[in-house]
Amino acid sequence: MAWITQKSSAPNDLGRRAVPYLAPATKDRFERDFIPRYPTRRGALIQVLHAIQDEVGWLPMQAMEEVAQFIGITPSQVVDTATFYEEFFFKPRGKYTLWVCQSVSCEIMGSTALQGKISEKLGIHHGETTPDGKFTLMHVECIGACGGAPCALCNHKLHENLSSDNVDAILDSLP
Amino acid sequence: MALDTPILMKRIPQGNVANRQTVWYDGYVATGGYAALDKAIAMEPSKIIDEMKASELRGRGGAGFPAGMKWSFLPPPDGGHRFLAVNADESEPATFKDQLLINTDPHMMIEGIAICMKACHLDTAYVYIRGEYHHHRVTLEKAVQEAWDNGIFGEKSRMGQINGRTPRLFVQRGAGAYICGEETALLESLEGKRGWPRNKPPFPAVSGAFARPTVINNVETLATVPAIIENGAAWFKTHGVARPEGVPPQVPASYGTKLYGISGPVNNPGVFEDHLGIKLSALIGQHGKGMRAGKQFKAAFHGGISMGVLGTDQYDAVLDFDIGKRCGVLGLGTACVTVIPQDVSMVAMARNCARFYSHESCGQCTPCREGSNWAYKLLSRIEAGEGTTADLDLLSELAGSMGSMPGSTICGLADGTSWAIRTILQKFWNEFEDKVAKPRFVGLALR
Repeated sequence: MAWITQKSSAPNDLGRRAVPYLAPATKDRFERDFIPRYPTRRGALIQVLHAIQDEVGWLPMQAMEEVAQFIGITPSQVVDTATFYEEFFFKPRGKYTLWVCQSVSCEIMGSTALQGKISEKLGIHHGETTPDGKFTLMHVECIGACGGAPCALCNHKLHENLSSDNVDAILDSLP
Repeated sequence: MALDTPILMKRIPQGNVANRQTVWYDGYVATGGYAALDKAIAMEPSKIIDEMKASELRGRGGAGFPAGMKWSFLPPPDGGHRFLAVNADESEPATFKDQLLINTDPHMMIEGIAICMKACHLDTAYVYIRGEYHHHRVTLEKAVQEAWDNGIFGEKSRMGQINGRTPRLFVQRGAGAYICGEETALLESLEGKRGWPRNKPPFPAVSGAFARPTVINNVETLATVPAIIENGAAWFKTHGVARPEGVPPQVPASYGTKLYGISGPVNNPGVFEDHLGIKLSALIGQHGKGMRAGKQFKAAFHGGISMGVLGTDQYDAVLDFDIGKRCGVLGLGTACVTVIPQDVSMVAMARNCARFYSHESCGQCTPCREGSNWAYKLLSRIEAGEGTTADLDLLSELAGSMGSMPGSTICGLADGTSWAIRTILQKFWNEFEDKVAKPRFVGLALR
């Protein structure tokens, strides 16, 4: 990743670790599960990034560098693709990521008050993580559950018909 | 004319039902599933396309392009790959119809996929499902696995070899980008790149995914296909709105049923199936069980925000593919209705729309990237009570000059921005004027 580390304005520390993110067994799994699906190796890129993020929680630069090597493209191409998508994180995030919808149906049904309530309770705003590393808050556009507005995702779980009253219980129930 | 026997929701209870059960392979076959595929396997592929053309099924994803026509655009097989990309990247605000099909009756769509692959000689299909649909993806992956295990896809496929290859179906997980619902952006994303829409031509039918011929259809479109193949085009055309007399047959009409979503302050929000051509008032009254106590209808986004807004006097608007001309909106869109009550400010709604587009613009074309953000800033200022009448004029001019229709952008995202903001401005101009009516002194200058 010379294009990052050798720039004087860039951070020197990419947080490298000795253990690779793509262990040989992981590579075999990707080679078996994802690569044959597409006529080009790059086709598998987003699925590979998802698999790593599901495991690590976010996408460290070192992991993207290893993915580039695995796929056979340049690290900049991996970063180019990954940074386009909202779901990929490039710094550590909380144990739970709250994706609170703020599009039209949810706004009509009171998502503004809901966002305020959550921010007040957790003491964080959009894009921030609580100091104890438990919650990351994201204000996002439509998550496709408008019939149950206002709604939010907590990691992979969908919560519908939220209000300032029941959101407390949901957040408190998380271990 | 109420819908007696649902087509798409025949295995799914209508409306806002808690704890819907997914119909798995055995349940699907027991209720007549995959009979249409067997019928299609016995048919000449060209006859399947003819039947689809005769049914005049129009794409359910928003644009309403005739599906049979789309299938017939592919060049003849030349030995290379041919793909089907299923658009399950349902990201249009207020739209939540496809998720219901995927979550409760996934095999209906999978059967439609198999029929389409057979008809168009497509060897590989990808269902591009949006990243936020986590539990839907788990359901879909399980259903797809069932289809492989039961000889729909794979080495032992009952379709045999297609295009000289084993027919295959995969689930592609998106990663959170509205623009990937645009067909060429979806293909770019499928190739492992940024979701940047491509210039057309070449159209995907000629050079789509991995530069090979590709069909792209919406989930709901494909889920409608088995019923058409099983019962015939003539049966399908007994549903919906018939073509008016005197209109030439090349003008597409609104045959068939459609999934409608209702959200907002109604008593029974959810997804319902009914004939195309249902009135908005009937949808809200009968399926939505009316407005909630104390709420009054003011306006509605009738098909996602990109189609524009229906005004207070358009409560009886007929929801079919010709709604655009009649009601001063872009089109039917996804037919998922968001009801806006009297107590919600239309300035706030316009601001919400502008924020959405400025966030989701892919950034390739200047009018869209800058225009949507500019509109968001203007609307934020107006909503905060700091706007001037000049802002309104500027906003109108801005919204009127971006989009692929004036020819200034690659894809239609800017058209959505333009229509959403323009129709709200036109139909609720007085609300905007009220917000900026009072001249304010800021510093020493009269603004």
